[in-house]
This record gives sequence, C-alpha cells and structure tokens, in this order.
Amino acid sequence: MRTHVKRLPVLAFALVACAVWLTGGPIPDRPEKLQFPPLSFNVPDASAMRVELNNGIPVYIIEDSQFPLVNVQLFFRGGQYLEPQGKEGLAELTGRVWRTGGAGNLSGQDLDEELDFLAARLSTSISGTNGSVSLNLLAKDLDRGMQLYMDVLLHPRFDEDRLAKAKDDLLAGMRKRNDDTSDIEGREWDRLLYGDDYWLNRLPTQASVDSIQRSDLVAFQGRLLNPKDIVVAVTGDFEKADMIRRLNATIGGISARAEPVPDVPQPTATPKPAVYLVNKPEVNQGRVSIGHMALKRPFDGEYALTVANDILGGGGFTSWIMSRVRSDEGLAYSAGSMYRINQTYPGTFKAFFQSKSASCARAAQITIDLMHKIQTQQVSDQELKTSKNSFVQTFPNRFQSPTQTASLYAVDELLGRSHQYWQDYRENINKVDAAAVQDAAEKYIHPDRLVILVVGNIDEILKGEADHPEAKFENFGELVRLPLRDPMTLKPITDDGK
Amino acid sequence: MKRVAILVLLALTPALWAQKVEVREETLSNGMRLLIVERHDSPTIACGWVARVGSVNEHPGITGISHLFEHMMFKGTKTIGTTDFAKGQEIRDQQDAVFAQMREEYSKLRQQLLRGEISGSIYDPENQTPRLKELRAQLEKLFAEEKKYIVKDELDRIYTSEGGAGLNAFTTEDQTGYFITVPSNKLELWFWLESDRLLNPVFREFYSERDVVREERRMRVESTPTGRLDELFNAMFWESAPYSWPVIGWASDVEAITREQAENYFSIYYAPNNITAILVGDVNPDQAVQLAEQYFGRIPRGKVPPPEMITFEVNQTAEKRTVGEADTNPTVTIRYHTPPFDHKDTFPLEILAQALNGRTGRLYKSLVEEKQLAVGQPRAQLGTNKYAGYLELSAEVKDGRTHQEVEDAFLAELERLKTEPVQDHELQKLKNNELADSFRRLQSNFYLLIQLVFYDSDGDWHYINDSSPKLLAVTAADIQRVADQYLTAENRSVAWYERKKGTQADEDPELAALPAQMKPMIKQQVAAIQKETDRTKLEQALARTQQMADQVPPQAKPAVRYIIKKIQERIDQLSASEGGN
Repeated sequence: MRTHVKRLPVLAFALVACAVWLTGGPIPDRPEKLQFPPLSFNVPDASAMRVELNNGIPVYIIEDSQFPLVNVQLFFRGGQYLEPQGKEGLAELTGRVWRTGGAGNLSGQDLDEELDFLAARLSTSISGTNGSVSLNLLAKDLDRGMQLYMDVLLHPRFDEDRLAKAKDDLLAGMRKRNDDTSDIEGREWDRLLYGDDYWLNRLPTQASVDSIQRSDLVAFQGRLLNPKDIVVAVTGDFEKADMIRRLNATIGGISARAEPVPDVPQPTATPKPAVYLVNKPEVNQGRVSIGHMALKRPFDGEYALTVANDILGGGGFTSWIMSRVRSDEGLAYSAGSMYRINQTYPGTFKAFFQSKSASCARAAQITIDLMHKIQTQQVSDQELKTSKNSFVQTFPNRFQSPTQTASLYAVDELLGRSHQYWQDYRENINKVDAAAVQDAAEKYIHPDRLVILVVGNIDEILKGEADHPEAKFENFGELVRLPLRDPMTLKPITDDGK
Repeated sequence: MKRVAILVLLALTPALWAQKVEVREETLSNGMRLLIVERHDSPTIACGWVARVGSVNEHPGITGISHLFEHMMFKGTKTIGTTDFAKGQEIRDQQDAVFAQMREEYSKLRQQLLRGEISGSIYDPENQTPRLKELRAQLEKLFAEEKKYIVKDELDRIYTSEGGAGLNAFTTEDQTGYFITVPSNKLELWFWLESDRLLNPVFREFYSERDVVREERRMRVESTPTGRLDELFNAMFWESAPYSWPVIGWASDVEAITREQAENYFSIYYAPNNITAILVGDVNPDQAVQLAEQYFGRIPRGKVPPPEMITFEVNQTAEKRTVGEADTNPTVTIRYHTPPFDHKDTFPLEILAQALNGRTGRLYKSLVEEKQLAVGQPRAQLGTNKYAGYLELSAEVKDGRTHQEVEDAFLAELERLKTEPVQDHELQKLKNNELADSFRRLQSNFYLLIQLVFYDSDGDWHYINDSSPKLLAVTAADIQRVADQYLTAENRSVAWYERKKGTQADEDPELAALPAQMKPMIKQQVAAIQKETDRTKLEQALARTQQMADQVPPQAKPAVRYIIKKIQERIDQLSASEGGN
C-alpha cells in the first residue's frame, strides 16, 4: 500500500538533543536535577515566504507536501464597524450569505453540491473588524477549486432564499440571547465598557434584520476587497512557482473597485465604576467580571504587563486568582484574568469567575485584593521565572504548522504588526524584571476604578455567606441594577424579567 | 467529465489512498503499553497517557469518582506538592477520621430525610446539625494545618516553567486521559513527573476539591439552559448499561466519596497494566522506549486485574419520550440504540449519519429547505462508546412550527433510508469527504494524540488506520440493512424541549397568555400577516376575521382578538411607510 508521508523539505528548527541525550543513569529524586539537552528554535523568516502579486497583494506562501491538501486563506480589513445605522446584523449576514448564496452561474444549492462532492471546504466570514474567505481541498482538485473560489470571492449571487434562511438563523440565535448567563455577561460587559453607541454594541434587532435587503448585502460586500485591504496565506501540497502563477492569474487580478476601508473608530465613552447587577433567578451560580478598559498597541511596558497579568490571573493554575479562588477556597471551577491588548481598538482588562450565588462576593473580594497585591508587592523570583519561561519556552508552539505560521504573518501584516515583533519577542519577555512587573501593574491595572458586573440570582448573591458577613458587593461600589433586555428589540424589560 | 473520472478512480482504489499513520507499539515489563508516532514538524511532543476507566466502571454511591479522581491526580505526590510528606500525611489521617464521624452524622440525617423530618438535601446549610458544624470546623482547621506543608500546584508550575503547554485531563464514560505538549528536549521531565504521579500519588485537599467539582457541575449543568434536561434524557435513554449517570456524578455521591474509596479505585484502575502512554511528535522512538522502561517500568503491576464490564444494555421494548421546559429555543432530539465502537455495523451507520448531515445532506434539504420546519443545521451524530452506541438526530424548531412536524419530518427521512437505496453519486460524495477528512484529521500532533487516546482505550488504536478503508467499502445495501435493523420505533427515545412558559421575554405578553396548543397556529398566522405587503388583502382578512370573532366558542375568542390586533397593526405599519415615501 502506498502511504502518503513525505517530509518537510526544510526544518524550521535545530534539534541537537539526540547526540548528547543522557539516558540510563539513575532516576534523580527531584525533577530539577534532570539535565536537558539544549534546544534552539529559529523564528521562521517571514520575508522568505512573502511574495507580492501583480496588484500588490502580499501572499505568505509555504510548500508542505506532507498531506495532499491545499489551504488558501484571504484575510481582509473591514467588518461590523462599517454597518450603516439601522442595518445592524448586515456584516454577519453578508459574511454568511456570501458563501451560501451561490456564485457565478451556480445557485447556492448547486455550489454546495459541487463543493461537497469535491470534499472542499470553502467558507466566508466577517467579524467586527475584518473577515476572511478560505478554501481547503485536495490538491488534485485545485483547478476547479480555484475557479469556484474566485467566483465566490468576486461574483457572489446572494440568492434571496439563502438570505431568508440566514435571517431565520440569525433571529433564532437572537431569541436565545437571555437563555445563557454567559451571553448576557458578554453583551452587558461590552456595553458598560465601550458605551451603547460604540459599533461593538450596535447589535441586530428584529427591526434591523427585517430592514436588510439583498441590495444591502451587495453594497456592503462591494465596499470590501480593495487590494490594499487584503493579505493572503497559502500552504500545502504544490510547487511554489506554480502556485504563484495561479495566484497572479486569480487573486492577483483583483482591481480596486472600492476605496480602502476607513480605520476602526475608537471608543469615546468613559466607563462608570460601580457594581452592576443583572438578575437571572433561574441559575444557582453567578458569573462575575471585574475590570476596566485596556489599551491598544503600541505602548510602553507591553511585555511587563503581559507577565503581570499572567501572574495575577492569566497563567492558569500557577496564577494567583486560580490558586486562591479555586485551589485554596474551592469557590470556582473557572477563574482568572485577561488583559486584552488589541491592534486596532482598545481591549478590556477583566478578571472573572463563576461561583455559587452565596460565595460570589467573597470570591470578588479575594480577586480585588489580588489586584492590589500585584501593585504593592513585588512578585517573587520564582513566580517571575515561571511566568517568563511559560512564554519563552512555549514560543515554538506558535509556529507548529506551515498553515499556522503563514496565517500568523498574514494577519500581522493585515493589522499592522511588524514581523520583528516575533523576532524580538523572547528577548523582550526575558528582559522583564520584578520591578517592571510592579511598575506595569501600577500603571495599567486600576483597582480604584473597577466596573463589576454580576449576572445570576441577584437576591441570593447579595445575601452572601453567613460565615463571611464581611464580604459584600456594597463594599466595592454603588449597586446598580441593570434590566434584562428584550432579546429581539434590546430594549430594557422594565419589570426585571419577572 | 471530470466528475466521472474522479468517481471511477476512487471507486476502484479507495484503500490505496487512505493515509496510514506509522505507530510503534511496545509493551513494558509491567504490562503498560506505549504508542509512539514520530513527526518532526516542530520541536515539540504531544504527550499523554490514558487509563481505561471512566464513569462506566462506577456504581450508585460512587458516581463521579472517576472524574473527582482526575482532579486529585493534579494534587501532587510524596515528592511534588509538599515540603514535608510525613507531617502532611498525619494531618490527612486526622481529616479522614473527622470525615468518618461526619459520615455517621450524615447517615442520621439521611434517615431523617427518609422519614420526612427534614427536606432538601442532607448537605443543605439549613440541615447541618450543631455536631456537623463542629466537625466541619475541625476539618477546616485541619485543612489550614495541611496547607502549611502544601506547595501549591507544583506539578503545573514545574511544567509551565519548563515550557510545557496545555497541561490538562479529561474524564468520559469510558476513559480518563492526561496530556500536555512539551518541548522535545524535555521528554524526560514528562516521564519523571508522570511516572511519579502514578507511583506515589497523594490525594491532598481531597475534601475541598469536591467543592471545585460542585462548582464545575453548577457551571456545566445546573446553570446552563438545558443541562438538567440533557441529564434527564440521557438517564432515560440508557436502561441497564452504566451510561445512565453523568460523568460528573450525582451530587449526593460526590459529597460522600471518601479518600479510602479513591485509593482503592486507584489501585485497581490506575495499575500500569490498565494504562497506555502515547507520544506524538519530535521524538526518538528508541530513546523513548528506553526512558519508558526506566521510569514507567518501575511501577508495580496491579494485584488484581480490573473487573470486566458485564452489564450490557437490554433491548428496548417500547418507545420512550419526554417533554421538558427550559430557557431555550424549542428543539427535537431523537436517539436510537446502536452498536459500540468498531462494531462492523458502525461503519454503515456512520455513512448513514453523514448522508443526513451537512448543507447538502438529507435533513437540511428536507427540514430546512423543502418543509421550512427547522433553523440552523439539523444534525445526525453517531456516538460510539466502548460498550454501546447511539444515533442522535436533533434540530431546532423554526418559530411558528411544531415539534410534531419536525419529528414527523425526521422519521420520514429515516423511512426513506430504509425503502430507497442511497444513489451512487450521493454515496461517492460521502466517501470523497471521508477520504479528504482522513488527511485533515492527521494534521495536528495534539489532535492525533487525542484520537489515539480514544481509540486505544475504546478497544483498538488500529482504528486510526483501519476505519477509513472500512468506511470507503460501505455499500448502499449495507446502509439499507442497518437502517432497517436499528431505526425502529421500539428502539427510539424522543425529547422535546420547549421554551419555558411565562419567562418568554421574546414573546408578546398577550400571546403568552393564550392556550399553548393554539400558539403554533397563531404564530404561523401572525408571521404570514407580517410578511403581507398588500393592504387590500389585509383589509379583506380583517373583515373576515372580525366576522368570525362572533361565531367562535368563548375559549377561542382571545386568540381571534389577538389576530385582529396584529392585522390592524400591520395595516397601520404599511400606511405609515407609504406616507413616509
């Protein structure tokens, strides 16, 4: 039987382990006494895989014949933030129907049938700030696959029946908006942090979905795909020169049919610190988020802040929040913190956990105390070393496959992050010391202006625990009850859902 | 032309195409097995081991022990996680003595509960006796004592500081797996730490960790919209096979499990002869085998072999059915009993499920496109557990349509599978997808590891190479045969989930007040009204309905009034938009 295993032509790393492996010795009594052979990993060279097509579109291309598959991913700028007022849901619907609504001379059904017979995966999606059109198929079907791909990319039909179907699905999803507390939490968090008017919070309603017509989708898709807004990643079983020829004959022929999209707008609201309560009486576990606005790149101290958040709550079991809230006190299964540093608009800093109603306030107290602690107390050498190593030593995991590497570089270029970022990454993390961690925590974590959001059975949550009367949400700020919102209109339900 | 060419090629030579994974298999001197796949794409190794134990090996009274156990395996060993093992052990013995006294108290409470003298759960705060509170306080004090000798989450810290990523574990009905990805120069560290926790485990924080598990249960089950209904449906579906209780266990049992029970469980099911270790990635197999013998080889073979699971599912004799309410869109789920993992009939059943699935599948075409009964993508899924399987169909009911309509449409599609053979083109499409997926699923080291973990502990890792040829050999007649055999009424269980009444924030309060059996019909009418753009037609409908209002029986009057109101609103809406133009 013929097997299909071929080796990568070039290895992206050098393993010097084999020659000096120490085996056969006695087993040491502690793991620290083990000796490991050195391992050096060179960051894959982005410039060696980058080519520009005739129309200037950059492509990151890696040959990889290990499997008889080809992967084409086209990333573009533009997304939900471009939706006109009153047409909320348009970006998402366009992203869905772009692929399902047919292309060229094929109806949605015919396109589905042909792709499925080829076992090809062709997908389109549009998110908040960017989107993608992707193809994964057997290398032998590349000719027909690329024809279909280009038809979808440039000549989508947006068939009415598939638009109606996409609207039904979107509306069905909206009906579930208040069913799961995690959905309520995510939605209200963004509202509290970015303000109701920010594009992130302009969500589809029954009225906006009803008002969306096929012509809106055509117009929206027509605003996308200026060659200046596109970066492509291609990997798999092909010859590079041949693939570049194919790409020039296809994606390389895309002309500037629209202006490049404008930049993502920045939020202007100032979040008001308080304790916000959303009542969902049916559940016995509260979901709590505690935090504030974060930053976008570039800013000083990014690496120190990354380490600070890792020690505070980002690093799983070795982090303080997990250790105290979960391991010590058994108050949560999931607990931690995220400091989201975005490229195009500011993210948020958020510590989070889910705990039984009675213990939410106690877990919140512990979490907030730890935020103070990381500002006032230097982290230990061991904490620092563990955290830095976790970034430095797992660094090769970011480049595990050619597809992962090519799309990482493509998205970086799309969002404006230099490839030097990864070349310098390990050194930048290694430079962080305990003083820098504390400095970053003082500068960028603000326990004095926390927005606290609690979703759950509020009456039970406010009662707290008999054994810990000192832990109370009142201690953290003004209590503000937020109404649930009608899932279809997003207008507040005034009687608190009862 | 092209399509025909592909079809012929694949039909003639399916087996020549499917990808093979080269696996080196070794058995250590103590019976532990080792699987190695060498792949040098990145300087990392996905490492894991699997114990052939899960909730299927439990019984009432200790349900959830396999999963609680998985948590305990992260609590350290005689060396890891402690500054003084012996002192800690003294305190743990004292904890166990206090817990034994608490169990006696709980026994008394259980008796009171049976007599109706207390209510709720014996673990509810309001049912705690003064004696229990005192014992609880003693236990808390001993926890604090023990903490002095605990080095928190040391296993995690050592891995993390040496570049280990994604340390985690999972428990299912049939297996418990532990895994991590390490840099390829740290393989010996993995052998050191994993053999240590199999050789010298210490179940620290045993009594407080169950609080974490209780929170996990709240998060995964009790505080999710359909968690409790899903448990109910599962418990209803399985009659005799030990798949009926949840992996996370019943709350009553999880609270009562003792450290001694956990230790007994460990000695039987975590013996090396019940474990397979698996490595996928940048590994030198000869060195790995040598290290495995050196590290894992020192763990003594179990004294008794794990008992064989002998309770099979009985043949179901009548259809089962449940209707539940939750904060969720209406759904229909149908399940049939099917054979276990690697049984010869699972291959045609898998192709049958795929014929139903996807946007070109039969369910989508029928339920969504043709009959417009469902939203999203209706789904068919074949579950193949170690000792039994099931075919599950599920769909979300479209607003205004009924559960019954969706169920009927499902059954009609299953009937068609019995009466008409699947056409060549459709069968070839399914096989083309299987072939492409046979490559796709080998692309990531970690995913390959997880597949080997499952296949080995379900029965045979060779499934990774043997399943594709078997799937590609399935014929239309095979599919018809298994449809006939398994998709029968008496082999079926059905669940309807309905949106909880009264809390339907999305529903018009006036509509919510109307009789439930009329609602689907009313919603359908209202949907039609809202789509209508012709004012004349609406006005005619209004006149007809107003006439009708006087003739219907009193209980139907609110419904008619509601429809009249909706027509009037639509007419007003159209007038307003015309005025605006």
